[in-house]
Amino acid sequence: MLKRKDQIYAIFVRIIFIIAVLCIWEYVARQELFGERSNLIFPTLEMIGSAFIRNFTVGYAGISFWAYIANSMKLLIIGLAIGIAASFILSGLSMVSKGFYHIFNLVVSIFDLLPGVALLPVIIIIFGIKEEVIVFLVVHAVLWPMSRNVLDGFLAVPKIYVEAGMNMGLNSFSLLGGVYLPAAMSYIVSGLKVGWARAWRGLLSAEMIFGIATCPGIGMFINQMRTNMNNAEMYATLVVIIIIGLVVQYGILTPIENCTVKKWGMTK
Amino acid sequence: MKKRILALVMAMTMMITGSIGCGTDKQETKTAEETVTLNIAYQYGLAYAPLIIAKEQQLIETAYKEATGKDVTVVWNQMNSGADINTGIASGNLDVGFMGIAPAITGVVKNVGYKIFTNLSGQEHCMMTNDSSITSFDDVINSENQIALVNVGSIQHIILAKALHENGYDAHALDSNLVVMKHPDGMAALESGSVSCHVTSSPYIYMEREKDNLYEIEEVTNAWTKDNSFIVGVASESLYENNKEVYDALSEGISDAIDYLNSNTEEAAALTCEFNGNSLEDELTYLQAGNYTIETNGVYELAAFMKETGFIEELPASYSDFVFENVTGD
Repeated sequence: MLKRKDQIYAIFVRIIFIIAVLCIWEYVARQELFGERSNLIFPTLEMIGSAFIRNFTVGYAGISFWAYIANSMKLLIIGLAIGIAASFILSGLSMVSKGFYHIFNLVVSIFDLLPGVALLPVIIIIFGIKEEVIVFLVVHAVLWPMSRNVLDGFLAVPKIYVEAGMNMGLNSFSLLGGVYLPAAMSYIVSGLKVGWARAWRGLLSAEMIFGIATCPGIGMFINQMRTNMNNAEMYATLVVIIIIGLVVQYGILTPIENCTVKKWGMTK
Repeated sequence: MKKRILALVMAMTMMITGSIGCGTDKQETKTAEETVTLNIAYQYGLAYAPLIIAKEQQLIETAYKEATGKDVTVVWNQMNSGADINTGIASGNLDVGFMGIAPAITGVVKNVGYKIFTNLSGQEHCMMTNDSSITSFDDVINSENQIALVNVGSIQHIILAKALHENGYDAHALDSNLVVMKHPDGMAALESGSVSCHVTSSPYIYMEREKDNLYEIEEVTNAWTKDNSFIVGVASESLYENNKEVYDALSEGISDAIDYLNSNTEEAAALTCEFNGNSLEDELTYLQAGNYTIETNGVYELAAFMKETGFIEELPASYSDFVFENVTGD
């Protein structure tokens, strides 16, 4: 009963917060606080709402906004899948081989510091101008923070669990699946959250800097709207980005968290 | 709890009121001292060379002093794109901006609140290819060949569309072949074979022309020559209406800078080469290849083309809607 009350309270305060932010936005826009051209750079909610509908019904240059979203999501999902799988494989190998752990730990520390877009010229020379470049940048965005979390999670597994597993006759690889993975789940879920956010931002940044006309994404759409001074359309696109982010957060990541670490009593 | 929230709200109100109060004080002090500040935004490259001269020789400050006996503080801001400058002027944070003719036309049409107050330069533009079998648009349209250029809707994109249109093709026939990247990245991609073509402007055009394995598609070169406007200066309508003396000094300062560049090109090159990252010899060659003049050429023609091909939604009635009264040209 108490839990239900807490949930209602959480939803209530969030709705109040969102309404407050929207009211402040509308007040600033209506009062034209940014000068006489305020509506051009800081449009009202009504203008953003109309632009939101226009994005989906008209699109840009004959291409529907759905196509931009589909292209971005396709590259994101491929990049995320490769990044997450690679982080598990490489972190798992680090637990099996000490030599590999030392090298991989160094590699993670180095590459986690490098912004993906700074690597763009090198990546273009290696891969050419293809969708794979953006996939690579997404993998780069997700692999290192995810690996750091998984590694930290594996290292935090109490020694007694590992020894218990070994006494039960588990070898190196079955220890990974039977002991390390479940015990490090709270770190892994946290890594997923960080990795998803980094990948999403990395994708949009890459698309804003490097746009392929055959595969136009949401980042390229924002860039086109900025170039054409269609700021209401640009803000409407940011709303779409937020909505997609919230859907992933509350529709995918939170259920994963609820079904694992929360269900197992590892976190509150 | 309620008292705490009330205290917090009061504290915030006091802070806001305080900061507004401080702002008013500062404004009053400024008025008392009669200090005028002119915020100018420009971009990087050879086409902006006269601005380096105006900045280094303080030509705007001198023109204002001679006309009024007072001082003007000119703040030069280097920005990345015409879109950023448009936002800066619309928000009132910038008075003047220098940008490509395409974003300037977009800004006027979108009612950002500025007009063109001077032309700055014209430069050559071209499409280079690394594939000797590409000799005309027919070899690129409906192919998988990719064309690198700086942005969709940029002047390079519009020149490409214009070249297509003038040669009997659909202006957007190559839109699906475009890859957006900055000029240096585009040049590197062309040289490495990552893309087949690169639509660019000076100085990259000269560097690419020197390579034996790169070839020029003449149609693009002829679509918008160096005699046409490429970079223009825009000034906010509020500057023109409320501070005409500063506006006049600005126009005179830029005009003097262009005169200096044209009559003392070697000295100008010595001044600008360091800022543009070129050797003195290269800088001189590049400056001599450009066309620096205050007279616009082809502004309304380009705007009409942009309207016809869907780059802008509306077309103002005449050339005078794009420029202030003192500007000559078409």
